[in-house]
Amino acid sequence: MKSKLHLFKQLGLMMAMSIGAAAVQAQAPAAPAPAWKQGMPESMANSTLAPLAAKLTATKAADVPLNRIKLPPGFKVEVWADSVPGSRAIARGDGGKYYVGTRPLGRVYEITDNGSTRTSRVVIDKLDQPTVAFKDGALYVVSVDKVLRFDGIDKNPSVAPVDLTANFNLPPEKHHNWKYVAFGPDGKLYMPFGAPCNICEPPSAEYAQIRRYNPDGSGMEVLARGIRNTVGFDWHPVTKELWFSNHGRDWLGDDTPNDTMHRLKVGGHYGFPSCHQGNLPDPDVKRAKPCDGIEQPVALMGPHAATMGVTFYTGNMFPPEYRNVLFNARKGSWNRTKKIGHDVVIVRADADGKNAKVEPFMTGFSNEADQSFWGRPAYLHQMADGSLLVSDEQMGVIYRVSYSK
Amino acid sequence: MRFFTIGKAWAFLGVALLATPFCWSQANPARVAVCGACHGANGNSQLKDVPSLAGQPKVFLENQLVLIREGMRDIPQMKGLLDNVPDAELTALAQHYAGLAVAKPPAQRKADVFTRGETLAKDMRCGICHLPNYAGREQMPRLAGQREDYLLYTMRAMKSNQSVGRDPIMSASLHGISDDELQALAHYLARVVP
Repeated sequence: MKSKLHLFKQLGLMMAMSIGAAAVQAQAPAAPAPAWKQGMPESMANSTLAPLAAKLTATKAADVPLNRIKLPPGFKVEVWADSVPGSRAIARGDGGKYYVGTRPLGRVYEITDNGSTRTSRVVIDKLDQPTVAFKDGALYVVSVDKVLRFDGIDKNPSVAPVDLTANFNLPPEKHHNWKYVAFGPDGKLYMPFGAPCNICEPPSAEYAQIRRYNPDGSGMEVLARGIRNTVGFDWHPVTKELWFSNHGRDWLGDDTPNDTMHRLKVGGHYGFPSCHQGNLPDPDVKRAKPCDGIEQPVALMGPHAATMGVTFYTGNMFPPEYRNVLFNARKGSWNRTKKIGHDVVIVRADADGKNAKVEPFMTGFSNEADQSFWGRPAYLHQMADGSLLVSDEQMGVIYRVSYSK
Repeated sequence: MRFFTIGKAWAFLGVALLATPFCWSQANPARVAVCGACHGANGNSQLKDVPSLAGQPKVFLENQLVLIREGMRDIPQMKGLLDNVPDAELTALAQHYAGLAVAKPPAQRKADVFTRGETLAKDMRCGICHLPNYAGREQMPRLAGQREDYLLYTMRAMKSNQSVGRDPIMSASLHGISDDELQALAHYLARVVP
């Protein structure tokens, strides 16, 4: 080992002294630019914009500055579950337990509602950014590289998972391949595969798309392509169409491109990598007429806002004007000199996607004046009583938003 | 040598933890002693391939401590050391090491390698995340003044995708960088004073 190290050093010195960096690089095999750096223009070389830090430690309800959250009149927010660090997507089990995924912590939580309080346990950990879905008594856990099914977990908390990974043909790249998954009204499991880069021609045809599978992983179909990174979707209550959020690329300035909300057209192309938000040609991956035939967004969700969880409200608790309205959590921007997002917005639109309007719903997680933030709403879940759960990935808590006159 | 030290630290931990009341608003001295066995009593490591913790951003230390405890970041030498340590104690440890002073960089310098590393760090835009003075911030570690052998060791692991549980963005960032370039980066960064 020592002699090998010595050799490395000798080699390094020799190369550095004799030929210089450029010549050394010319000898090395051509390498793709790293994902985060792709598309960064020279003008931004001295930028210090970088992804925001995750908080991985537990937060107690009493330490959440709940009084800073603002909602429309009549709505009320409480901390429904605390000490669930990094909590993201929420799925409800048939027996009334809730399951919650995470990213860096690698855990899946199970939350039991005891009426006035909640308790949680870790169902499984050490996974690569797992998310959750529930169907017919089984919990599905999907990470970057695994699909696991926990049969009858409501009744048998220690059930060993069935490993379905081999059936799903998951592609190897990690970047943007953490997921949101959900079962559709057709009983199929819908699963996105993000572009493994900020901006690039994907290395193979397996990326930048939404697929659906039978629950066991058979019958895979690619439904749509050109989707950079969707990590939230739901089905329109009337048309049963899938509506999905999509993250726009980084390093294209503060105001472009927008994150977007879309309707899924089977066989449609949504523009990545050459066209963003339906009308903006990419300056790095160029194609002739890149936006021709590209599906148009329902709504622009704000540049770099990190549009996440999508839930159509179908309950009876909120006032009638919220019925069938799309709720969307925006985790908040990093690739922008002035932060936006860190909130929950609603999108009011016709059933065919026309006349969309984006309005604030749940705000107060950030402070524009000093550019600070304390919360990052990530996912939403409508409860049986019509209240709305909102996971906060930063605080590691889940809020419950309810309404009374 | 390192394993011998860890063994000693373990024995000390057993005795010291029993005698320590559970209050973690300050770092638990027994735990700090265990960490210090490898990472240095003042947080500046004296052991090859073992990082200094002094002056690292608090969030970086806290996140890494959690990920190591969870088994997401696999460090064989630390296996079991953080089992069941509560979040609050990890936070106190992070706070403790973030507040310690970084030791002076090694005096010995290879001028040409240093200059090459400086140019590489600039061209690779390490400063976007780690800040232009490489002092680190939030979840992004301080590079300035870190041990040269550790910087090289960890960058090699990242480059070859062996850095399990660490942000894959670093593997991507080092993709295609030659080993002698890594050496130049390590040589330079170990000697930067912000």
